[in-house]
Amino acid sequence: MATAAATSGAGSGGGGGTAGRNFSFKVVLLGEGCVGKTSLVLRYCENKFNDKHITTLQASFLTKKLNIGGKRVNLAIWDTAGQERFHALGPIYYRDSNGAILVYDITDEDSFQKVKNWVKELRKMLGNEICLCIVGNKIDLDKERHVSIQEAETYAESVGAKHYHTSAKQNKGIEELFLDLCKRMIETAQVDERARGNGSSQSGPTRRGVQIIDDEPPVQSSGGCCSSG
Amino acid sequence: MSLKSERRGIHVDQSELLCKKGCGYYGNPGWQGFCSKCWREEYQKARQKQIQEDWELAERLQREEEEAYASTQHPQGAQSAQSLTFSKFEEKKTNEKSRKVTTVKKFFGASSRAGSKKVLAGKLREVQEAKAASPISRQVSIETDRVSKDFCEFLKTYHKPGQEIYKQCKLFLEAMHHKRDLSIEEQSEYTQDFYQNVADKLHARWKVSPEKVEMAMDQIEKYIMTRLYKYVFCPETTEDEKKDLAVQKRIRALHWVTSQMLCVPVDEEIPEVSDVVVKAITDIIEMDSKRVPRDKLACITSCSKHIFTAIRTTKNEPASADDFLPTLIYIVLKGNPPRLQSNIQYITRFCNPSRLMTGEDGYYFTNLCCAVAFIEKLDAQSLNLSEEDFDRYMSGQASPKKQEPENWSADMCVGVRQMYRNLDLLSQLNERQERIVSEAKKLERDLIDWTDGVAKEVQEIVEKYPLEIKPPNPALAAIDSENVENDKLPPPLQPQVYAG
Repeated sequence: MATAAATSGAGSGGGGGTAGRNFSFKVVLLGEGCVGKTSLVLRYCENKFNDKHITTLQASFLTKKLNIGGKRVNLAIWDTAGQERFHALGPIYYRDSNGAILVYDITDEDSFQKVKNWVKELRKMLGNEICLCIVGNKIDLDKERHVSIQEAETYAESVGAKHYHTSAKQNKGIEELFLDLCKRMIETAQVDERARGNGSSQSGPTRRGVQIIDDEPPVQSSGGCCSSG
Repeated sequence: MSLKSERRGIHVDQSELLCKKGCGYYGNPGWQGFCSKCWREEYQKARQKQIQEDWELAERLQREEEEAYASTQHPQGAQSAQSLTFSKFEEKKTNEKSRKVTTVKKFFGASSRAGSKKVLAGKLREVQEAKAASPISRQVSIETDRVSKDFCEFLKTYHKPGQEIYKQCKLFLEAMHHKRDLSIEEQSEYTQDFYQNVADKLHARWKVSPEKVEMAMDQIEKYIMTRLYKYVFCPETTEDEKKDLAVQKRIRALHWVTSQMLCVPVDEEIPEVSDVVVKAITDIIEMDSKRVPRDKLACITSCSKHIFTAIRTTKNEPASADDFLPTLIYIVLKGNPPRLQSNIQYITRFCNPSRLMTGEDGYYFTNLCCAVAFIEKLDAQSLNLSEEDFDRYMSGQASPKKQEPENWSADMCVGVRQMYRNLDLLSQLNERQERIVSEAKKLERDLIDWTDGVAKEVQEIVEKYPLEIKPPNPALAAIDSENVENDKLPPPLQPQVYAG
């Protein structure tokens, strides 16, 4: 939180760390209902799975502090509502995010299709500044796999995303996923900073997209968003 | 005939119709018995007086505030070297004050000119409003006073930078005063730049620790926004008010939407849950009463926390966004918070961006924006209804509640709900009893019919086959007794005994 003013919303403004090499990143979590988004973050932040003793009241907004090679990272993970009826609201959520984690269920072909839609939208809205992670969750159910590894990885590569295999149940691949994402986001932020030149990076991130809301999100593929009165 | 009716008419003395001032023109009860001209004069005089009084009050409060500031600053000022900078401070303040007075004069000067009638109308309205809400406006200025005092107190802990900050804020407020005619977007931009500059300066020039920067930014926001609120909240130059009304109307039209339709994972039958839901609704409504963007955000956050408690109590697991958003939408629909759009716009434009973009408050705020966007474009599909049903509910021709007595509105108290449930049970019981009675009657009828039927059948059979008792046939009866040809039969076989 400390340097939030200087680094927040780096997704569109790209302000990386300032003094003390601090970074604040916003990561959105996208995925259809029932793919295990919540379990994934709960496993990461609380290291618990379907546990009665989970202390947090909610799993929709979680933060995590990391230290990667001396760089302090504040990660804010924003969960999004995955139901189809809320699809059009996506742009309001992922505006100004630095990273996106797109989760699908390896036993559910449809959830993978959904991921593809989101990727298209994110690239259209935020360009290449956002780090995308495509995550095939529930690898403990490999017997019932319906999305082939080959297909998923090829697709991820084609859109400039990275693919991960995870199991929230068995706690596999999750730590790696987040660590890798953070490293990539730091890199992006630093590249961005360098591109701006050191002098301008101070005043660079002044007015980022503060307009959280407007009536018509500038781009939407699913048409007619928010326009009917 | 006509003459007669005329005489019967109400007679009013000529003098009573004339203007009270005696100018010779006719007066009008609507103008308290004055003629239009005299009325205007009188009214203007009274109003002028009131305006004067209002300004005096404002002046006095301003003076008091300055005194308060001076007194809080004094102990520090006494420490020799700083007193010099402080007197400069004062000087600047007096300058500012005189400038303010000139604006007042300008304002009155303008009122005499007919050319700027529109501006005048607007200003007059403002004054009128201020007058109408006189006790409130006074309260507000007391609040402003308190905020300024707190701000001064707070800045004392920052020593030198504190004074700088105060100077910056004053300069900013003055600049904003001159920018009042600009579009709200430009004002917002200017405010955001100000936040950024101050934060940068605190950081780079005065080497204030990040935590203290954060704290200072909060206080600065509180100070400047308490003062600017009146001018930048729902400004007349924007469509905000219209949108507010549109949203409000829309929510009212959607009164029939139930928690089941939205798939809200909250069970309001549980008393604790319904309590928390009420709290959440109260919080979101309260947002409108706050003046500082951060306080508004705090209301949203508190509302969200209540929602999480409700979900947690119902489902016994931490709430995900899949649960949270529908519930928030439901709360907004139930609460219909006043001036929703204006509040959202105000926060977006004037909140310290660091809070809005990444923090937890920002997340809840974003969800509220989503909820409003969803409500605005909500259709049959998003509620899993057929188009016809949706249209019928929207037009008020039908209500889903009548079809499903289970869908009671959330604000109904538990007792009433219990009563309805009991009534429902009783009516069901009554129905069942009636059914039993009718069934019993039917059974009785059936039984009677059955006995009748059987009797009839028997009768018929009896009639068809009448019972005749014939005398025994002598021939037959004598068959055995008179073995007529008995002797003609061979003798029965006799066992033969063989020797051996």
